[in-house]
Amino acid sequence: MLRFLLQRLLTAIPTLLVIATLAFVLLHLAPGGPFDSDKVLVPQIQHAIESRYHLDEPLWRQYLRYLGELARGDFGPSFQYRNTSVNELIAQGLPVDAAIGSAALLLALLLGGATGLVAATRPGSWRDQLPMGLAVLGISIPVFVTAPLLILVFAMRLHWLPSGDWVAGSWRHLLLPALALALPYTAYIARIVRAAAIEALGQPYIRTARAKGLPTHVIVLRHALRPTLMPLVSFLGPALAGVLTGSIVVEQVFGLPGIGRLFVTGALNRDYTVVTGVTVLYGALIIGFNLLVDLCYAWLDPRVRART
Amino acid sequence: MSASAASAITLLALAACTPGHDAAAPAAGGAPAAAQVLRRAVDAGGMRSIDPSISTDVPAAHVLDDLFEGLTRLGQDGEPAPGVAERWETSADGRVWTFHLRAARWSNGAAVQAGDFVYAWRRTVDPRTASDYAEALAPVRNALAIAEGRMDVTALGISAPDERTVRIELTAPTPFLLSLLTKSYAYPQYEPALRAHGDDWVRPEFMVNNGAFRLLEYVIGGRVTLVKNDDYWDAAHVRLQRVVYLPLDRAAQTERFFAGDLDFTESFSAEQTAWLRSRLGAQVVSAPYLGNFVLGVNVTRPPFAGNRALRMALTLAVDRETLVRYVRQGLYQPAWTPTPPLPGYRSPVPAWAALPEAARHALARRYYARAGYNAQHPLHVELRYPTDSDNRRTYEAVAAMWRTNLGVVAEPYNEEFRVQLNERHLKQLALFHYAWIGDYPDPLTFLQLFQTGFGYNDGGYSNPRYDALLAAAGSEADATRRLAELSQAEAILNEDVACIPLYYYATRHLIRSYVRGWTSNIQDRNLSQYMYLLRSQAH
Repeated sequence: MLRFLLQRLLTAIPTLLVIATLAFVLLHLAPGGPFDSDKVLVPQIQHAIESRYHLDEPLWRQYLRYLGELARGDFGPSFQYRNTSVNELIAQGLPVDAAIGSAALLLALLLGGATGLVAATRPGSWRDQLPMGLAVLGISIPVFVTAPLLILVFAMRLHWLPSGDWVAGSWRHLLLPALALALPYTAYIARIVRAAAIEALGQPYIRTARAKGLPTHVIVLRHALRPTLMPLVSFLGPALAGVLTGSIVVEQVFGLPGIGRLFVTGALNRDYTVVTGVTVLYGALIIGFNLLVDLCYAWLDPRVRART
Repeated sequence: MSASAASAITLLALAACTPGHDAAAPAAGGAPAAAQVLRRAVDAGGMRSIDPSISTDVPAAHVLDDLFEGLTRLGQDGEPAPGVAERWETSADGRVWTFHLRAARWSNGAAVQAGDFVYAWRRTVDPRTASDYAEALAPVRNALAIAEGRMDVTALGISAPDERTVRIELTAPTPFLLSLLTKSYAYPQYEPALRAHGDDWVRPEFMVNNGAFRLLEYVIGGRVTLVKNDDYWDAAHVRLQRVVYLPLDRAAQTERFFAGDLDFTESFSAEQTAWLRSRLGAQVVSAPYLGNFVLGVNVTRPPFAGNRALRMALTLAVDRETLVRYVRQGLYQPAWTPTPPLPGYRSPVPAWAALPEAARHALARRYYARAGYNAQHPLHVELRYPTDSDNRRTYEAVAAMWRTNLGVVAEPYNEEFRVQLNERHLKQLALFHYAWIGDYPDPLTFLQLFQTGFGYNDGGYSNPRYDALLAAAGSEADATRRLAELSQAEAILNEDVACIPLYYYATRHLIRSYVRGWTSNIQDRNLSQYMYLLRSQAH
């Protein structure tokens, strides 16, 4: 197991290097620089600004400097937010995304999981068809539609919840963004759980359990749940990544100070260090999540454990 | 997802919404509210620094207006008023100004001294500070030479003969100096805070400031919270206890206003004007703004180089009233000349502006033919503008007018702002978006864009007569004569069709009826220190 873990961590390094290099090159290829503005600068000031951020150096040297800093875990200074490092920006923004992302995923797992299991116990009945119909709707409607609609109903009409802004630790400010982000995942999870549970409930050992006279909820929770989780776990890796990148839209709509918003303004303002930093961070998180999923597999399925 | 997609959804969502119970309600009673907390929106994407020497964006300027005060401050009427300086006098030639400071204090209780201004200004022009605004202090003696590294910062034309006197020496008479002194780059700075904390001095825990409010919280890209500064010299007249700034895009600002989460928005989408007015009534506020929406013309390359007739045909063929009424919802004023209306300035509106539409179109067609174009050989031209739905509507309409009135094949083409900026500076574009917001209420801020060799002269316009008039105005001590010279210069621009002005901007705010103390002004700067809330507020 330890060897497997080390192997995966080692392969992550070249992957991250490729991500970092691509981000660096693509961003520098984009026309316009971070300090282009409609104000005209005195050449000496322009030079002072460029040398402050080493933009006056040849690109290869900037690249090596960037890699060196990256190796030390330093993403460098932000170009758009003067006097602020990218690490600080990420440290400020990541907790926001982590809170929304984890709340969204928890909501999606609870709502989607329960709906899927209920639907699987009575396939073809209204308890199956209604939630599955809603799930298709949930998958089809993008977040940038649901988020403003949630604001319209819960903030503007009912005045129950705030229409945006971020107050750390306030569930009222967390709920709408988390819900907006959770809806499509709830739908996916409901469908995955339903399909897996139907398959599991058709297995011979379930028949045995039924023959023993066990009640349905015990059969579902004790015997059918674990095999049902397998496809769900493989979905969770991409879902975690999706929740992270999907939060870019949610942040924009709700005006939240997360790293997704930072990423968008960074790209528009050619804030090289912010964009490369956030890209590498996203890359590292996705690699990390996938690794977690593989570890979960091993825990859930003894056959996978034996192979590793 | 693009921001515009979200805005479209919001628009639909808002269209389905009836106003909240408090949204359109008139203010009840005149008594001030117990909780004086103002929630203001600023446009998202700004607020990149709140260091007065560094900051250049509008959202940060609002916050800085509340945190700091210069020798003068913007009065409630939008005109410069005494700030840290309680009085001042000028030399006969208008080149030396002496300011006498009042007993003002920093937020830590220390006295604001003349040396604090000298320190701050030197820091701004010092090339090591790498301030985008070093050039804004150009009217001050030696400022440019220092910024260019040719002189030491001590040579800057600002001195402190004693603790309560600031002496400023200018390179030329600068009638708009009092207005410049209200800007962030002219604030004093507290040297011990900068020495102790370096770049971190702008953090809430370290900042020492001298304005009406202190910095309580600063989330980068997020909320900024200010509280009343009891050490401010005029604190007795400041009624707000707290100001919360929220950076939001336009659609979100309107949403939050309807949700009752905002008292004062920075802007709203022009296309929503009629709908918003029908629901919010007098809470929709618009007034003239110091900015123009101009189509830049590159006179250094074909088809416009040496072809005044073609430029004339294009400017004549634009129906500005139609554009303003139907495309910009009647919010803006049509423009025939670059400088927006300013008090005491005679705008040299070209004679053709008064022609009836049919006669103007006929004249446009004659110029078009004289330029060598006709139905068989139409002008093909690209019209580049930065991505924005408001820009798109305007340029689509202009292209349609040219097509209908002249037969020109114009293709509006949007691109990212920085890409366009780059192409513009390299003079690669024939026609381009050239809007400009004035730095101070004076024609010069608009007219210098067309000066030979000026860094932002992206159309490459050059006329020695124009340059000579600008230079003459620059050394003119008499304010009336100076404005007359600038007006003559602007008439030359119009004669040469150096650009195609379309309209002048207007401010766009949603302001709750219970918010008092603000006034519309041409610079669109509303200091929170004058505002207060009446009792009818919902939050």
